[in-house]
Amino acid sequence: MHDDDIERVLKAAGPREQPPAEIERELRESLRREWLAVVAERRGRRRTAVALAAGVMAATVGAWIAVPQITAPAPAVGTIAQVSGELRVRSGWLGRWQPGGDGRVVTEGEILATGPSARGALALAGGISARLDQDTQLRVAAADRLVIDRGAIYVDAGIESAAAAPLEIVTPTGSVRHLGTQYEVRVLDDGLRLRVREGRIEWHSGGTSATGVAGEELTIGADGSVGRGPVAIHGEAWDWAMQAAPAIDIEGLPLAGFLGWAARELGCRIEFSTQETEREAAGVILHGTVAGLPPARALEAVFATTRLRAVVLDGRILVSTRE
Amino acid sequence: MDQDLPQDQELIRRMLAGDERAFESFFNAYFPRLYRFALPRLNGDVEATRDVVQATLAKAMRKMSDFRGESGLFTWVCQICRREVVDHIRARRRHTRNVVLIDDLPDVRRAIESIEAPEEYDLVRAHGRGEVARLVRSVLDRLPSNYGDALEWKYMEGRSVEEIGERLGIGTTAAQSLLARARAAFREALERVFGADAADIAGSLGA
Repeated sequence: MHDDDIERVLKAAGPREQPPAEIERELRESLRREWLAVVAERRGRRRTAVALAAGVMAATVGAWIAVPQITAPAPAVGTIAQVSGELRVRSGWLGRWQPGGDGRVVTEGEILATGPSARGALALAGGISARLDQDTQLRVAAADRLVIDRGAIYVDAGIESAAAAPLEIVTPTGSVRHLGTQYEVRVLDDGLRLRVREGRIEWHSGGTSATGVAGEELTIGADGSVGRGPVAIHGEAWDWAMQAAPAIDIEGLPLAGFLGWAARELGCRIEFSTQETEREAAGVILHGTVAGLPPARALEAVFATTRLRAVVLDGRILVSTRE
Repeated sequence: MDQDLPQDQELIRRMLAGDERAFESFFNAYFPRLYRFALPRLNGDVEATRDVVQATLAKAMRKMSDFRGESGLFTWVCQICRREVVDHIRARRRHTRNVVLIDDLPDVRRAIESIEAPEEYDLVRAHGRGEVARLVRSVLDRLPSNYGDALEWKYMEGRSVEEIGERLGIGTTAAQSLLARARAAFREALERVFGADAADIAGSLGA
């Protein structure tokens, strides 16, 4: 059956109207808060019910614990996905610093800081990974807004798509939004440096704005001047972000899935030496763990257990059969 | 036309369990469709539509544990939205006339919601091409999730199957299969709503 009639009727009807982006952003956030309140309320109810079954005294305690969650549900915006060294968290400017470990929920208003030998990664809504370099401090102003005071942040918003979740990085020298997916924002003493690895970003401050594309580095002066230069999308420029990458769970994962992750983290494309090698790779299922290993080391460790070999060279992961 | 009841139930279960990705899926799937559902019923008033959609989705999330799957999730959300529209108009009295859409005519609504074709009823003659075109777009919104998007990307934006697969986060073969199901569902839906096939509807729209 031809599809011509489908095409004709769709074109005659015209495209469906898309809601304004501003309304979408606004409602997404307000409804996210509503949803978190619903979840918190349900958990509070459940806790209260358990407490009642356990006895009057326990019920009193259970209800006391549940009340703050019902009246003021924590607006969670993500979790800490990876920490190396000391990452500290405090609830607002008046809070007390506390250690932030893997899996800790991060809520709106919290401030995160890494020490001189620490790095960390956050898993945010919409699949966004945000990584903090050494000596970085940022405040989670909202689910879609991070305010960075010092240091550097690397953002990976996932596979490039129109549906990528919005995120604004606010710096002392203007704000950055991603129109693409992998980039670094570094606060300098006299301005800002932006490096784009994939997709596009947009910087704006007051009435001035600039767009950076993959392979480009923008230097923003304190006076708003914009300098441009090239940056390799793989290699040492991105090493720190790779060091801070959250671990991947490889148990039961096809080798192809692991290779895709490694290629994305390393900014490389995958090349198989022969179709036979590609077919062989497609049939490999991984077991074990690479927790604690940065992507390049994980690649070595995984391939050492197979009949295949992977070499990272000039922005490519070359996969071949061992001789 | 909601054909994905098991998926609806699973989505609700995950949302109520606090799964962030489930919330994102729910919002991405239902917000644009609900916006398009409410906008014409509020005379194109964008501000009023924002308020009504927000109230509708907030209410839907609060009542989610009561959802029994007797209708599809989108149909259920639309029922809430209809009541919100009425409440909004009553409360604000900003609209001088009560908007009655072609979709809300009993025969058409029944066709959309319970897949029964209105008989011997010439929609184009009765309501004009503009309204019929809008109804075709409404039909796209009522297809199971992703079908409407996939059809638009393929036939209106001219995107390749590979691109559609990438956008949906699935492989090329899965995207081909999804497009085939989407075409079949769309044809079936058009016939049930309009009592005519896609070619006839395209012809009546002047294509």
